[in-house]
Amino acid sequence: MWVDREMDNFATRPQDPYVMTDEQRAFVRENIFPCWKGKSLEEAFLARLPEDTKHVGADTGVIDSDSKWRQAVGEITPDYQDVLFKKGFGGIMREAEEHIAALDISRPEDEDKRDFYESVIWACRGIIRLAERYAGEAERMAAVESDAVRAGELRTIAAVCRTVPANPPRSFREAIQFVWFTQLGGILSENPLALNPGRFDQYMDPYYEADLAAGSITPDEAQELIDALWLKYSEWVWTISANTADYFAGYNQFQNLTVGGKKADGQDGTGAVTYMALKATEEVKTHQPGLSVRVHADCPKEFLDAVTHLVSKGTGFPAIHSDSVGYQMLLNLGYSPDDAHDWSNCGCVVPNSRKTGEWTSAANLNFGSALEYALNEGRSLMTGDLMGLETPPAEEYADFYSVKQAFYRQFDNLCRHAVISLVTAQRVHREMVPRPFLSACNERCMECGTDLSHGGAKYNVGPVITGIGLAVVANSLAAIKKLVFEDRACSMAELIAALRANWEGYDKLRELAQACPKYGNDDDYVDSIAQEVANHYYHEVHQYRDIFGNPFTTAFMGISNYIPMGRVLGATPDGRKNGEPSSEGVSPFVGTDKSTPLAAMRSTAKMNQEVHSGGTLLNLRLNPELVATRRGQANLGAMIQTLFSLGSFHVQFNCISSDILRDAQKHPENYRDLLVRVAGYSTQFVNLSKSMQDAIIARTEHSGF
Amino acid sequence: MGGYIMQLQDFSVNDGEGIRTIIFMAGCPLRCAWCSNPEGQTLRNPMTRWAEAGEIIEHIRHQAIFYRSSGGGVTFSGGEATAQPDFLAELAGELYDEGFDLAIETCGFFSFDRLRPTLLKMGRIFMDLKCLDSAKHRAFTGVDNGLILKNLSKTAALGVPMTIRIPTILGVNATDEDMAAAFDFIAGSCRGASLELLPYHRYGEAKYAQLGLRAPGSEFGTPSPEQLERWLGMARERGIETVSFK
Repeated sequence: MWVDREMDNFATRPQDPYVMTDEQRAFVRENIFPCWKGKSLEEAFLARLPEDTKHVGADTGVIDSDSKWRQAVGEITPDYQDVLFKKGFGGIMREAEEHIAALDISRPEDEDKRDFYESVIWACRGIIRLAERYAGEAERMAAVESDAVRAGELRTIAAVCRTVPANPPRSFREAIQFVWFTQLGGILSENPLALNPGRFDQYMDPYYEADLAAGSITPDEAQELIDALWLKYSEWVWTISANTADYFAGYNQFQNLTVGGKKADGQDGTGAVTYMALKATEEVKTHQPGLSVRVHADCPKEFLDAVTHLVSKGTGFPAIHSDSVGYQMLLNLGYSPDDAHDWSNCGCVVPNSRKTGEWTSAANLNFGSALEYALNEGRSLMTGDLMGLETPPAEEYADFYSVKQAFYRQFDNLCRHAVISLVTAQRVHREMVPRPFLSACNERCMECGTDLSHGGAKYNVGPVITGIGLAVVANSLAAIKKLVFEDRACSMAELIAALRANWEGYDKLRELAQACPKYGNDDDYVDSIAQEVANHYYHEVHQYRDIFGNPFTTAFMGISNYIPMGRVLGATPDGRKNGEPSSEGVSPFVGTDKSTPLAAMRSTAKMNQEVHSGGTLLNLRLNPELVATRRGQANLGAMIQTLFSLGSFHVQFNCISSDILRDAQKHPENYRDLLVRVAGYSTQFVNLSKSMQDAIIARTEHSGF
Repeated sequence: MGGYIMQLQDFSVNDGEGIRTIIFMAGCPLRCAWCSNPEGQTLRNPMTRWAEAGEIIEHIRHQAIFYRSSGGGVTFSGGEATAQPDFLAELAGELYDEGFDLAIETCGFFSFDRLRPTLLKMGRIFMDLKCLDSAKHRAFTGVDNGLILKNLSKTAALGVPMTIRIPTILGVNATDEDMAAAFDFIAGSCRGASLELLPYHRYGEAKYAQLGLRAPGSEFGTPSPEQLERWLGMARERGIETVSFK
């Protein structure tokens, strides 16, 4: 198992190191591992994965799905509105008991349901008992506390924990505590990635307004509770393998919390809690929750102002999303309009909902590898291993069309292996990894007596495959088209020789390659290639079905996956060298979007973003001076609205000067709270590895002057 | 029809409202010793190029979507925006007819009657006032300020929103006396115009090197924020509205 293999190096690995004592290691080796030997998810998955898929799809950097077979899934949004706040875990437990009483276990399917409901009862009992232990401890502490104020606080804590999460919350404070217990239950049961709080303002605002009207809370008290919840979101760690940490860098748990946006009835949904959530991130400066906002064309000016104000603080938050594109992405997956309007974010930039079961970051697919194999007879440039299909030598391609066809053949082959890998993982999960606690938080799972891992949710969305390196491939194909087939600046043989030599000794040709049109500058020559590749990707992936019969889903998300996927990629025709980072999401390749952020936005908006229902991502870094004034922030707001009117789904800004980042590399002790946007999420800059930090500094720093 | 430009700069946010494209038009009748755009002093040099009006208008149309939500538009600058008056009139006329918000940034050294129809198409006029002392003006810019002062008053009377910009430079005009004289002139002869002080900067140094010219020396300096704030206060005492497009 990976934990056994890796835990001796937990403290010294470059990305996301953990502290673990020798006693702890000895304990788990003696007491835990023997029990799981041969029964772990990882072992079962690897035993079943076909050899040819394993060759290209397990720890290769070509297809990466390891977060789906070395960790639990997570990627779920508990339903506070229709389940948790209505019933409490006590109510859910009683409901499960009623269901069991109504079953006829002579029917095999009812036997499965009985097992499910019993597992839910166990989970509910567990979380209620946990809360009661907190209550008991608070009562004990209150009894011996000499400070009367503190003793009163402890008695309040005890009373709150006696009420929730067993019962529905009656106050804002109880609701906050309920949310944290739910989170804790998810953490204890799954060690989950992306356990999302969902539309926080929608379910918290009624409690706040009621308490405020009753005079039982002040705005400051409510803000303090929200700030405290933000600290709780940030204090635990999603424990992951070194490989996963490369793809999801920065101790990030991806608990995505969404505010703003329209309600199902079409009205604007912002309220007091919306603004308090934005303020909490500004005040406590934690990397969690991942704060997302939904912006629609007619959203209140105060809301857009609050969003751009937070951007100007340089935390990388919030992730800014188009309300209508998110809606369209869910409609395209077959959601009802009401449920699609209620979308919230999952993980980094995946439109999702509390009615959904979905693997939102199931596999990463290295677009650059497909091109590499097309140009190198199916072999890796850096290792020489046969990784793809044995296509003819590139010198034999007579025209650009043939190059593209060879690329698509290799590309489709990688898609196929990604699908095989994920279907295998889904099967293993269905058999081995039931999710009773989080299934209890899902309305349809409870109604139909079916676990999330068996497709119990109302919407079971096909696993999301994330494309990495769109810009690298578009730029490279454009360079081949121009240099080899149009300008005749070199032959295909020369170009391939240059790539094999990692451009060493081909400086002139590399300069020509770098001067070719680059995606991100609103240049149709190359943007149209990116469009074609993105559309092909959608159609190819969408035709496959998962174990529940749903089409697979595409995404162009970031995360830090473009670093490890670049590491295995040899030199590319765009002028990139061996092992350098690839490109993320629909963002341009680092440093090549030289025009303006407007041009970069425009290029990315040319993709049919709404068909990639797994989310699309654009990162831009702005000079902080641009948004230092209210006027600058207003212009940023206008820029965001323009981007969304062009059809883009997401944009996020880093507003930190390179000088500050370089200083933070030198003096991390002075910058513990400095947040940067990695991709799709923000995290502490000082928690990133040196190469990750360098990659962020290298991103083009846009300035309006 | 066409003319010489330095560049079209999208995503400009300091020369008018909203997100704008600045058309940097080449050529300038002045030779300011502190000039930060030396490539704009002549029509033809390695950093300028010929552009057809149609090409520029296409570019503007393509950017229009960014102006709409921000209240932005197009700003003519330079060099000197009025140094190619027919080219300017052609561009401004077409863009005005297409409904773009227009602004101009000018040194004020132009034939008013010839430029009047173009100025009336502007949503805002930025006009420089360097200094009231004509001898000093000649010494530092190469031209007399008589025409400029007349044009400032006449332009202010057009009723188009107007902002007078004073490049504020230690070693030239950044003294209490110079500022007082300028503010008195604005208060007395340019009613309704607002004021923006632009502190001297040296961002143009690299361009001098590129053109093989010697950059302005250390005789010019940047006033402190406190000094600037005090002068703005003096202007406000005279009833002048002070603004900032930062």
